[in-house]
Amino acid sequence: MTSVLKGNFAPKKDVKPAAKEQEDLEATFEASALKRLGGSIAFVSKKRVNWDLEDK
Amino acid sequence: MTDDQSQGALGRRLVANMERMTRDRTAALCLENARRNVAFRDRGKSLADLRNASLGEGDSAIIIAAGPSIRRNNPIAAIKSAGYQGAIVVTESAISYCLGNGVVPDLIVTVDPNPDRIVRWFGDPNLTHDALERDDYYRRQDMDESFANEIRANERVRDLVDRHGPEMRIALSTSASESVVRRVMDTGMEIYWWNPMLDDPDEIDGMSRELYGLNRLPCVNAGGNVGSACWMMADAVLGKRHVALTGIDFAYYDDTPYAASQYYPEAVALVGEENLDQVFIRIFNPHTQSWFYTDPAYMWYREALLEMISDGECQTYNCTGGGILFGDHIEFVALEEFLEKMSERRNPHG
Repeated sequence: MTSVLKGNFAPKKDVKPAAKEQEDLEATFEASALKRLGGSIAFVSKKRVNWDLEDK
Repeated sequence: MTDDQSQGALGRRLVANMERMTRDRTAALCLENARRNVAFRDRGKSLADLRNASLGEGDSAIIIAAGPSIRRNNPIAAIKSAGYQGAIVVTESAISYCLGNGVVPDLIVTVDPNPDRIVRWFGDPNLTHDALERDDYYRRQDMDESFANEIRANERVRDLVDRHGPEMRIALSTSASESVVRRVMDTGMEIYWWNPMLDDPDEIDGMSRELYGLNRLPCVNAGGNVGSACWMMADAVLGKRHVALTGIDFAYYDDTPYAASQYYPEAVALVGEENLDQVFIRIFNPHTQSWFYTDPAYMWYREALLEMISDGECQTYNCTGGGILFGDHIEFVALEEFLEKMSERRNPHG
């Protein structure tokens, strides 16, 4: 879509890609959150204690 | 705060990513710490030596963590009043609360690899004013008020831990930072080493196996945080069959300002002060008939611990008196009720 709109003309109405902007904003938030949030240590579903991993 | 549909929307989405986010943020640090801690392996025993050990009388344990309910409900008063003789298993963050109230825990647990913050719970011998200015983590949070006055609080904890260190055992994760390990060794605590699961230990090339290859120590699912690790120690290591939780809120009381929550700076950086309602999730506790709010990390802890409890072998009692940990397989009861029940089990004929 972006490439189609390229050219030497000005559209009569100002086009605002509102939905995409919002998505980009959320993606930025979440990317930032990936670096800064999170727990203290891992959680591994359905596991308890492995006393010995030698033979597995 | 609002309670419409947008409340906590981003927070709920982040919960689904917490497992990956936590691994990305901590796994490399855990491995780095574990490699360094190989040199100290001989300063302690293996956690395997604690398996089914006789810590405390009978088959019950009480977990004490440092959630905001501790300050409001003071569980140690009821524990002492009942003359409880079962095992007391505590997070490192609750050491100060316990020792300051005359209770020497049977087992301390620590797991977080953070290089600076965790040692404070043991009394940091190297705490400086510069370090305090760089990090307001403790000053800001809704926890023990004495921590707000940090230098004095640190000295008090350091003295308490120095005095009681040789009387205490610690389940010390190999992921612990150098500052925590050195402090623990200096206090003379009896060390029991263990590896935290970093991924599925059945994965041949996984990080949990890499840890095991370093030190041949048992690998424990810590459930995302030290409070849940305490529960796993009580259930799967000590073999306790009745386990009560105190101070495991995983939430804040609804009247707590967002600024006093653990991830406040991160949340503001994410969405701005005016949009914080998108990150924090409000939950109604039907047992206390009151509202709490939580953040994505605590919400993830809640879901993980509920799953661990449903797969566990003990009966779990949430005696926190607040917070958001309720659901199937867990009894939400007053601590006094749990203590009475355990007393009756010890003395069935009164």
